[in-house]
Amino acid sequence: MRRRELRERVQGLLMVLPPIGVIAVFIGFPLGAAIAYTLGKTGGPNSVVSLIAQRQHVAHHGVTIDAYREMLSNPTVREDLWATVWITLVTLVVVVAASWAIALYLRLSNTWLARAVSSLSVVPLFIPVVIASYSIFVFWGPDGLFRTIAFRIGFHGFPSLGYTLTCVLLGEIWVNIPFGVLMMSSGLNGVPDALIEAGRDSGASMPRVVRSILWPMNVIPTVIVATFTGIYVLGSFTVPYLTGPTQPNMLGPTMSNFFASFNQPQQAEVLAMIVFVLAIGIGAIYVWANVRASKRAGQIS
Amino acid sequence: MSAVESEGVVLGDLEQAELPVASTRGRGSLVRGVAQRSAGLLFAFCLLLFMVGPLVWLGLRAFSGLWDFPQLLPSDWTLQGWRTVFDDKNLSHSMALSFEFAPIVTVASAAICLPAAYAFSRYRFPGRRVLLISIFATNAFPKIGLYIAMAGVFYSLNLMGTFMGVVIVQLIGTLVFMTWIPTAAFSAIPRSLEEAARDVGAGPLRVFFRVTFPLAAPGILVAMILSFLAAFDEATGTFLVGLPNYVTMPTEMYTLVLNYPEQVGAVFSILLAIPSVVLMTLARKHVMGGRLAEGFQIR
Repeated sequence: MRRRELRERVQGLLMVLPPIGVIAVFIGFPLGAAIAYTLGKTGGPNSVVSLIAQRQHVAHHGVTIDAYREMLSNPTVREDLWATVWITLVTLVVVVAASWAIALYLRLSNTWLARAVSSLSVVPLFIPVVIASYSIFVFWGPDGLFRTIAFRIGFHGFPSLGYTLTCVLLGEIWVNIPFGVLMMSSGLNGVPDALIEAGRDSGASMPRVVRSILWPMNVIPTVIVATFTGIYVLGSFTVPYLTGPTQPNMLGPTMSNFFASFNQPQQAEVLAMIVFVLAIGIGAIYVWANVRASKRAGQIS
Repeated sequence: MSAVESEGVVLGDLEQAELPVASTRGRGSLVRGVAQRSAGLLFAFCLLLFMVGPLVWLGLRAFSGLWDFPQLLPSDWTLQGWRTVFDDKNLSHSMALSFEFAPIVTVASAAICLPAAYAFSRYRFPGRRVLLISIFATNAFPKIGLYIAMAGVFYSLNLMGTFMGVVIVQLIGTLVFMTWIPTAAFSAIPRSLEEAARDVGAGPLRVFFRVTFPLAAPGILVAMILSFLAAFDEATGTFLVGLPNYVTMPTEMYTLVLNYPEQVGAVFSILLAIPSVVLMTLARKHVMGGRLAEGFQIR
């Protein structure tokens, strides 16, 4: 019996090794190397990239934070950072609010209209992000539908949103809505009908039912939508690249510019680290909320 | 706006007429019902415009010849855009390349992850939970930052601009699907079935291929579909690592929208969307089945 247990342990570990290995080698190792590189370590795995790099900050002994200092004091980078932060926050708020509204509508009214609304909201799931970005640019851009209609009814001043941060924002919202709706719907569907009816029978109004029954039971899905939307937007490249302005834009395209166009990989990796730090902040909320929920459910103490 | 509202009123009345209970509730609730209906319709209409509008607006361009600015529809229709796409060597090459990478990545991902998924579901070993969560955590990195960090090291590993480099970058995005979904599929199979097969004398391999695998196959298929799409639609990492040697369909879009007429961009978009639409429709039930939330809960 003990031999079988041991064999199971070894066999299990061996079988999970390949994906873990891939992650360690192609995510863990590059992250470690990138941290070292941004702190001025140009040897080892960074030796080749540092050969072609321009304007490097090299630490001859110890570490240097000059690369961070350079990027954080660069006024255009600061504008990009600011754009990234506000677009992330606004997308997050809009996606959470819209997906709550749509999921709630579907949960409380099971009409054809509610079902139509929920199917409409998952359309982006079927469309690659590149096409989504391009179509949103065309739709809101200079030849877009709203500009055309406005022009035809005599309002010639309707703005073209192509290559603006507003267009980036619209794109990010479009791309992120399905995940929000699916998550919220599956959360709200977990609330038993009996609970809602019991609330209604004891005289609670609909808003009261939402506030006192549905909201507390759907906190975790809400946190999941908020964190993963936030992380996704922080790490997005395609939407801002195809729909946004040259400057200021989100950090995704800026990073790619520093890396490929300006030949400054160290600066690009500094920006990557800044985005990671922002994401860790968001991720911490996710872990905290999960742990709190498990504690309440008595799964861990 | 008024058209939508009046439609709402009509439908609202119909519903009230069909439900005899409603008549006892009085005028107040009738008015409220109509108002709610109209609000719902207005909301649906705005959502339709926001979600589907861009796709239709772009799709029309694939068949349009001349379409001057204040026209609501193209003034003439043509298939010229389609001819351009299929005649252009670059564009058709990138299509072929996409269909080369995605299957290779999917198969590689299955080979790497499926044994792991089986182990996660069937064996008890130290660190099981931590390792499973660490695979999920690859989702929690902002993608562009991750690709930049990877690209920096790829120079030293001689992977920049190589076929292998692109495969690895695309593979990273498939690991979560290929591990988590099959793990759940294996776990859903009752152990008693496997034990019963073993009791009547089947060896472990025979049990796996005759009992376990066929039962887990639908879940594995969904994982393969989602991985194929993740690889097929991956643009950012391929753009950073593959250029200039490997330009797949999605990465081609980055430059195409600037260098070609809009019609060509529209045609290319439709072609690129076909695999997504078809395969996602097949996997739809699983993705929308409500099991999504469970995967994101830390247990």
